[in-house]
Amino acid sequence: MSENNEHEHSNDDGHGHDGGHHVNYFKIYVVLVVLFLISVAGPEVGEMTGLRWITLITAFGIAVVKANLVIQNFMHLRWEKNLMKWVLATSLILMFLMVAGISPDVMNHEGNNWENVAAKAAVERGVDGEAEEETMVVAAPVGFTPQGAFQTVCATCHGTAGDGNGPAGAALDPPPANFTDAAFWADRDKQRIMTVIQDGAAAVGGSSLMAPFGALYTDEQVSELADYVISFAPDGAAPGGE
Amino acid sequence: MAHAKPLATLRSATGIPTGRLAVWWVLASEVVIFGGLLGVYLMHRIGHPEWADAAAHTQTWIGALNTFVLLTSSFTAVLAHQAAEKGNGKEAAKFLCFTILGAMTFLVVKSFEWYNEISHGYTITANTFWSFYYTAAGLHALHVIAGAIIMGVVAFDAFRGRELHRVELIGIYWHFVDVVWIFLFPLLYIAK
Ligand code: HEC
Repeated sequence: MSENNEHEHSNDDGHGHDGGHHVNYFKIYVVLVVLFLISVAGPEVGEMTGLRWITLITAFGIAVVKANLVIQNFMHLRWEKNLMKWVLATSLILMFLMVAGISPDVMNHEGNNWENVAAKAAVERGVDGEAEEETMVVAAPVGFTPQGAFQTVCATCHGTAGDGNGPAGAALDPPPANFTDAAFWADRDKQRIMTVIQDGAAAVGGSSLMAPFGALYTDEQVSELADYVISFAPDGAAPGGE
Repeated sequence: MAHAKPLATLRSATGIPTGRLAVWWVLASEVVIFGGLLGVYLMHRIGHPEWADAAAHTQTWIGALNTFVLLTSSFTAVLAHQAAEKGNGKEAAKFLCFTILGAMTFLVVKSFEWYNEISHGYTITANTFWSFYYTAAGLHALHVIAGAIIMGVVAFDAFRGRELHRVELIGIYWHFVDVVWIFLFPLLYIAK
């Protein structure tokens, strides 16, 4: 048997798929290009009129229309057997189910019993400043509170509970200090904590992974931050005053 | 060709030729892969207003140029199919070559774009937006490369008048690659 056999087979599948339909491909192509031009112009119009929904409609509405034109006329799904349409529809539905199922976790940053600290911090960092230019530099929060500063700046490494288990901490060697560990406080006082915050752990012989944050805070604020760090110490382990 | 074909390529319980059935199956699974990826991006984009700043750095006109290139290559792919239907293998091969040219143009434009972005510090690790950007566009680009290679093989055969039904099959795949980009374009370049 020759390869032609298979070709004929596909011609004669009895449903006129091949050659049986006359699509004006050029016309479809022109329509696609025009739609494409509209979707590119959309944001300009949206900006001029200040209507963001125009951008969204021209972007996604047109994408759906274009995709449908391609799928029906170029991929010939219109003439395909229903079986195939159902198979494709099933995988589309499963995909939407998956996305819908995880959307509450991804789109919200807190729920009844949980809070996504890393996501919140990311939003705060990004929205607050031109931080995305230098992604690693953390912008100081505007209104200073020791908790606020610790939770946005330090917690990514040291953890919201000060236990050294922040999302960015896991990858670090040495690991971020655990402020809830009594042994940690055995040989540290407030002065040392303030020095570390201002000049980095390298200033006390530690790792430079613990960067200096002196530029972000006034002396007064560093002192408050140090008190806050000390407040993580277990009962009886906290160093006495200054 | 002297050797016999596997039986499965010649019979069809569904009424859909086996090759075409197989391509559709591939695409049904691709729908979940790309759909999942794009869905997850969309959710993050909504949950993270700060991504707007990062997205503002993608170059709309480059994305637009590539959209146009892919649309055109889809058009030539369907013309190749049309020629194959008429049994004109040489013509089909010619249009497939145009389509491959489109694929290569797409990839060259993409390399310039990425080169430019990476040298400005927008790397895959810069932040989650850029991680997504390179993952989604990268996975898509791999599909473009795979499609171009297969089209080369199919065009080679078609030119000699062999396996003409494959021109339609690679076409269906190629249009899907186009459809994915049709959604990536507004996601990454337009709705910032
Ligand atoms: C990039 C991750 C990172 C961030 C952000 C960070 N730290 Fe650290 N920190 C570390 C690491 C790692 C160490 C352990 C250094 C060592 O063991 O040499 C450490 C150690 C410390 C120590 C103990 C140093 C010592 O040996 O006495 C203190 C106190 C401290 N950090 C406070 C802070 C405060 C306050 C902030 C926020 C202003 C902060 N850190 C932000 C990574 C970080």
